[in-house]
Amino acid sequence: MSTPGMGGDLIGLSEMRAGTSAAPKTAPAKQQGGTAAAVARAAAGIPARRRRHIAGWLFLTPAILYILFAFALPIVYNVMLSFEQTSPATIADLTAPFAGLANYRFILDDPTSRTAIIHTFEFTFGSLVGQFIIGFSLALLFTLRFPGRTLGRSLIIVPWLLPLIVTGLIFKFLFQLEGGAVNQLLMDVGLVHQPLDWLDTPHLALLTVLIANIWLGVPFFTLLLYSGLQDVPVEVKEAALMDGAGPWQRLRLVIVPIILPVIEVTLLLGFVFTVKVFDLVIALTGGGPANTTQLITTWSYNLSFQEFSFGEGAALNNVLLVLAMICAPLYLLLSRGSLRRSSGAEK
Amino acid sequence: MTRLQRSRALRWLCTLGTLAALVIVLFPVYAVIVGSFESTETLFSGTYYWLPHAATLDNYRTVIQAQSGNVLTSLIVGLGTAVLALVVAVPGAYALAKYRLRVTVVVVSALLVAQIVPSIVLATSLFVIFHWIHLVNTYPGLILADGTYAIPFSILVLRAFFFSMPNEVMQAARVDGASEWQTFLRIVIPLARSALITVAVFAFLNGWGDFIFALTILNGATIVPITLGIYTYLGNYSTDWGAVMAAGAFAMVPAAVMLVVAQRYIASGLTAGSVVG
Repeated sequence: MSTPGMGGDLIGLSEMRAGTSAAPKTAPAKQQGGTAAAVARAAAGIPARRRRHIAGWLFLTPAILYILFAFALPIVYNVMLSFEQTSPATIADLTAPFAGLANYRFILDDPTSRTAIIHTFEFTFGSLVGQFIIGFSLALLFTLRFPGRTLGRSLIIVPWLLPLIVTGLIFKFLFQLEGGAVNQLLMDVGLVHQPLDWLDTPHLALLTVLIANIWLGVPFFTLLLYSGLQDVPVEVKEAALMDGAGPWQRLRLVIVPIILPVIEVTLLLGFVFTVKVFDLVIALTGGGPANTTQLITTWSYNLSFQEFSFGEGAALNNVLLVLAMICAPLYLLLSRGSLRRSSGAEK
Repeated sequence: MTRLQRSRALRWLCTLGTLAALVIVLFPVYAVIVGSFESTETLFSGTYYWLPHAATLDNYRTVIQAQSGNVLTSLIVGLGTAVLALVVAVPGAYALAKYRLRVTVVVVSALLVAQIVPSIVLATSLFVIFHWIHLVNTYPGLILADGTYAIPFSILVLRAFFFSMPNEVMQAARVDGASEWQTFLRIVIPLARSALITVAVFAFLNGWGDFIFALTILNGATIVPITLGIYTYLGNYSTDWGAVMAAGAFAMVPAAVMLVVAQRYIASGLTAGSVVG
């Protein structure tokens, strides 16, 4: 599973591996009988090899069917929809009259679609910067030995486990105009004199959504980067220390180059997760005020499910899909180790 | 300062930093729990109380009346998603790890790419497709859609697990005359128990916490998961914060249980799926 040069235990499967280590003890002793059984099976008709091949295909069939049904079909259908002149009446029919590029022309001309695309870029960039800086700092912190590091590491994943809608409601509550904890804190400290209307002021609203998303994403960055840092050999760190490298030099010249592949994967996945964000925005602002927190996802939802223009929604979806798919080749490249065909039981 | 003193001071500084991070991470959760016990008057007083102010169970009474059906719905969806993920992913991952099939590279690539596809893209199409095959507003429809979070991840995690399983295990079973199916069912699955738990937990949390498919594929009237229930509360003109937060506290329960019961599986599993090395 570990990709060469990508940091094996990045994947963090060591516990699972440990789980199996006890298993195979009974196995090797029985191998001599193999030929006899194979002969017996061959006599039964279909050669064992071929039967195994068929079994492999049968095991894989549900997964292939699911991929075709739940991913391939919707993606293809989404492309079709984006070229159709849909209306609430056409939904029952599965197809609608051909519309040429009309839906894409609409997206380009629609000011809200355009700002949604811009907001998506701003939001994604801001989230990644924030999540990376905080996540990397925490990951570095957790590599040191001090009281409370285990507790810190195990509780840091809490935001990750909450349903996104709950995160949305919590932040909506904390950032309220009146009686919100954030305003209360800022006023108590004396940073502001009037409570800020975080969720209803155009610039602040996007910032609030951004803060919530950073809070949400930090655990993921911390855990991934932490497991990457675990793979930096102690000898390398010690050698750098002996050579008189200061902490900053050690970080920049030794640690970062070693875990660069992990950083790349983390940022890549962070990007993919962030362009998809939907629940949080819907719960916090619903895209408002005045569409200032409208992202591609939320505006696409609005076009399809509020205005029933599935064609226009699908066209905007395709913009999002292309944006997300920019990462696909790089992701496949970084995951090339997992493209291995099999560990070869079927001989 | 001596070196020892300095390193000791540094260590306490680290602890302090971790504490600060944990306060920021956990405060929102604390706020929901405390808020869920506050009275409506307290919540609308315009002042935020950092500590519990006047505890009451009213919110829970409201929520249990209004949302217990929705909690049950979410349980069904979560369990359904877990079952679907196991049924599709376990044999699939086994085939991709232990059989030399010509499609392996294609299928694994497809799974990696599938993780990138935004849910709104799938939701838009699936709504229209489901509308046509009458799966809109049904449990099977929602569960099939919720599988899109869990299944690619599950297959990749399980495949990595099966890679680590020695081939001798299967060979021994075959030598003993077991069929491929028997080997899978009696030998492979029991050995993969810990990985199956990870996958099931992850899939359950996905189904339980799903919002986007619930919002699009359900009509919001007959089948209402807790996430949709919370959203309806939030969308009301004047939010009943007490009820919202009690509902939020309910929605956090599975996560809390998982955190305590299956923490080691979750932490390893979540990172495993994101970085399919």
